[in-house]
Amino acid sequence: MQMKSLLAVAFVAMAASAANAQQMVFTSWGGTTQDAQTEFWAAPFTEKSGTAVLQDGPTDYGKIKAMVEAGAVAWDVVDTEFDWALQAGKAGLLEPLDFGVIDKAKLDPRFVSDYAVGSFYYSFVIGFNPANFSGEAQPQTMADLFDTAKFPGKRTFYKWSAPGVIEAALLADGVPANQLYPLDLDRAFKKLDTIKSSIIWWEGGAQSQQLLASGEAPIGLFWNGRLAALQADGMPVGISWQDNITAADALVVPKGARNKEAAMAFIAEATSAKAQADFATKTGYAPINLDSPSLMEADLRATLPDAQTANQINADMAYWAEHRDEIGNRWYAWQAE
Amino acid sequence: MLSFLTPARRGSGLGMAMPALLLLLAFFVIPVAGLLSRSVTEPVAGLQNYETLLGSATYLRIFFNTFLVSGLVTLITALIAFPVAWALAIMPSRVAAVVFAIILLSMWTNLLARTYAWMVLLQQTGLVNRILMATGIIDQPVQLTNNLVGVTIGMVYIMLPFMILPLYGVIKKIDPAILQAAALCGATKGQALRRVLLPLATPGIASGALMVFVMSLGYFVTPSLLGGTANMMVAELIVQQVQSLLNWGMGGAAAFILLVVTLALYALQLRLFEGRAR
Amino acid sequence: MLMNFDKLGAWRWILSGICALMALFLLLPILFIVALSFGNSRWLIFPPPGWTLKWYGELFADPRWLQAAFTSAKIAAIVMVLSVAIGLLASLALVRGRFRGRAVLRGFFLTPMVLPVVIIAVALYAAFLRLGLNGTLVGFVIAHLIVALPFAIITISGALETFDPSIEDAAILCGASPWEARFRVTLPAISHGLFSAAIFSFLISWDEVVLAIFMASPTLQTLPVKVWTTLRQDLTPVIAAASTLLVLLTVVLMIAAALIRKGKSR
Repeated sequence: MQMKSLLAVAFVAMAASAANAQQMVFTSWGGTTQDAQTEFWAAPFTEKSGTAVLQDGPTDYGKIKAMVEAGAVAWDVVDTEFDWALQAGKAGLLEPLDFGVIDKAKLDPRFVSDYAVGSFYYSFVIGFNPANFSGEAQPQTMADLFDTAKFPGKRTFYKWSAPGVIEAALLADGVPANQLYPLDLDRAFKKLDTIKSSIIWWEGGAQSQQLLASGEAPIGLFWNGRLAALQADGMPVGISWQDNITAADALVVPKGARNKEAAMAFIAEATSAKAQADFATKTGYAPINLDSPSLMEADLRATLPDAQTANQINADMAYWAEHRDEIGNRWYAWQAE
Repeated sequence: MLSFLTPARRGSGLGMAMPALLLLLAFFVIPVAGLLSRSVTEPVAGLQNYETLLGSATYLRIFFNTFLVSGLVTLITALIAFPVAWALAIMPSRVAAVVFAIILLSMWTNLLARTYAWMVLLQQTGLVNRILMATGIIDQPVQLTNNLVGVTIGMVYIMLPFMILPLYGVIKKIDPAILQAAALCGATKGQALRRVLLPLATPGIASGALMVFVMSLGYFVTPSLLGGTANMMVAELIVQQVQSLLNWGMGGAAAFILLVVTLALYALQLRLFEGRAR
Repeated sequence: MLMNFDKLGAWRWILSGICALMALFLLLPILFIVALSFGNSRWLIFPPPGWTLKWYGELFADPRWLQAAFTSAKIAAIVMVLSVAIGLLASLALVRGRFRGRAVLRGFFLTPMVLPVVIIAVALYAAFLRLGLNGTLVGFVIAHLIVALPFAIITISGALETFDPSIEDAAILCGASPWEARFRVTLPAISHGLFSAAIFSFLISWDEVVLAIFMASPTLQTLPVKVWTTLRQDLTPVIAAASTLLVLLTVVLMIAAALIRKGKSR
């Protein structure tokens, strides 16, 4: 009798784990970005492995922390910001990635670490509405971006504490690109102070596009893919790649994820050359697989940060991961001042 | 329990509060107390989270701003809601039905969509500024977003129904004969309004204002989209700490301070209110 | 005098004017949203360069919108019923009860309103992880009930305070049982308060996004979460199309209700 019920329990447990092996959960930020991830990463993965990928979202770091603390992790792969991923890896919130499954050799080394690989990457570039700066010289450099006398009007910048705006302020103030790190925060905020009343913050990529397209902010620092999308839609947009600053999203596996093996296999598929090329083609973000660009059409490749490496600056993700809290607290306090 | 028929027993009625009490204890007090207690244990044990918050002019300003904006929103909402609720109570019912329909309609539309709509409407290149310029009221665009004006407009918009509906319920039940009596006694309209109608409507104003004020204190979406960073409110600070920086100690401390100050204000209001009633 | 619209004199026009201005204020963003839903500008430029129905096409092509709306309506309806029922009992206790600490209890019932929702969300999410309630309908309802309940309690006790309990006593003197008196006398008398409480409770749940982000699972997504992610990522007029359809539905329901009432009164 007891034996029988034990067997039954074991059977149920086995059936449950077999069912679990058939599906996993991928979490991202929603919208068309996640739709593209579903189409080009999850669908081929399901076809090849037979593992269904459930879509959840939006990504929420508080939720990840609570899941890991409670030991009940519902998410298997999550799309996060790269600097957050590095910090969270150190804080013990993430599983180390299995590079026996994920082919490290083909990935852009800028976006590979023990706990995270790039999901896609982008550059912060200067974007402007040419109609507002027709007669005069057009804004080219970070110094121009901070020069309200020469280029009047509101500027728009990314609202959250993240790599990009601080670097831009320092470059505008004359710090050479190779001496950006460690970041001189005092100097950066002093420079930002000079244009503070002209800044409109954008909270999400879509808002940045609206601000530029409506003329509310004729100039600003944008994710390159968002400007490409505006151009593709027929809006007149000027782009300056001078000192473009790269940053990335990351794919991570929260510590204690239920379907770790499937998660690693999913990341391997998502970072493969074809998956990255298809995703980049659809979204305008850049692929992190080194073989992807050759799979993409030439005119599309020209719009990617890959084509702009000559005057490119890589935001130091390791530095940001180390100082994320410190910079964040100062950043938000400064905004509120 | 009943006022005249049954002698009021001590403790009577408490049973009816039990469902709400138990629900809040299990799913609010215990979980939230756990989170708030982290404010004295994270990142290390001690009061340094509170020292940081209360010792910095920037953070104090955020607290001050929160109460300022909430108070302003409550005041303006009440000033609009009182005449509207009054009119609704006495208007021909067909007209009142249309106004009610508009109020309900505005509430049905998704909050985020409404807030985004205001953001686009109030921009310098937005419709409101263009209309004002076309009609010659202003010469050049005025700044209506990313400041106190924007956040007030956006929040009053959302809070209006929360004040109008309870107030309407109260005014509707006022016996017109009382005001007729006032008129018979020679009271002018102004006197009748001040001495009779307003005092009779006070319970409605009080419950509406309480809801609006307290709701505003913890508000996040509208201030974040329309208020700009210079008018940051506590909820935004807490969201940054809890969701972006994962600093639950600091977030918990800010929430605890907000809670204590609000409950203190509530106790003060209670004392003043009861003191006057006696 | 002040309670008779026809005898208000000049004040009548002032009151009507304020009402009209407020109606305009409330309608402005809604009309704007409706207009945007037919405009062909992806970037919410107004007036749009041309008109189109393609956002409605996109809306119907994505079944997740309808699913999300259905989930939201279901959760909000359950929250509304529970919130009014529990809120009514609690209000009776607060207004009619004779026990010590009523003021304290009332203050306590307000605390879920004071705390920014993200605090409740994180705390409740962690608790639900241990109880296995996260991602379930029950968990969702409990979460929204916590934030809706204070609104129900404030509105219902506000209405109860203006109701004279001696009327209830009179009903009992005439032979009604205490609960009968409550159902047949008190409830109709505070129906405005109950109605407001129901609307507030429904809408709090219907529009709530922060708790919803925490309680959501791949199979349980509400409309505000869908709107929130879409706004941040895409800002597409599809949101305007969805809102317009809801406005339309509301208008139809209101007209139907008005017609039914008219039919009855004949």
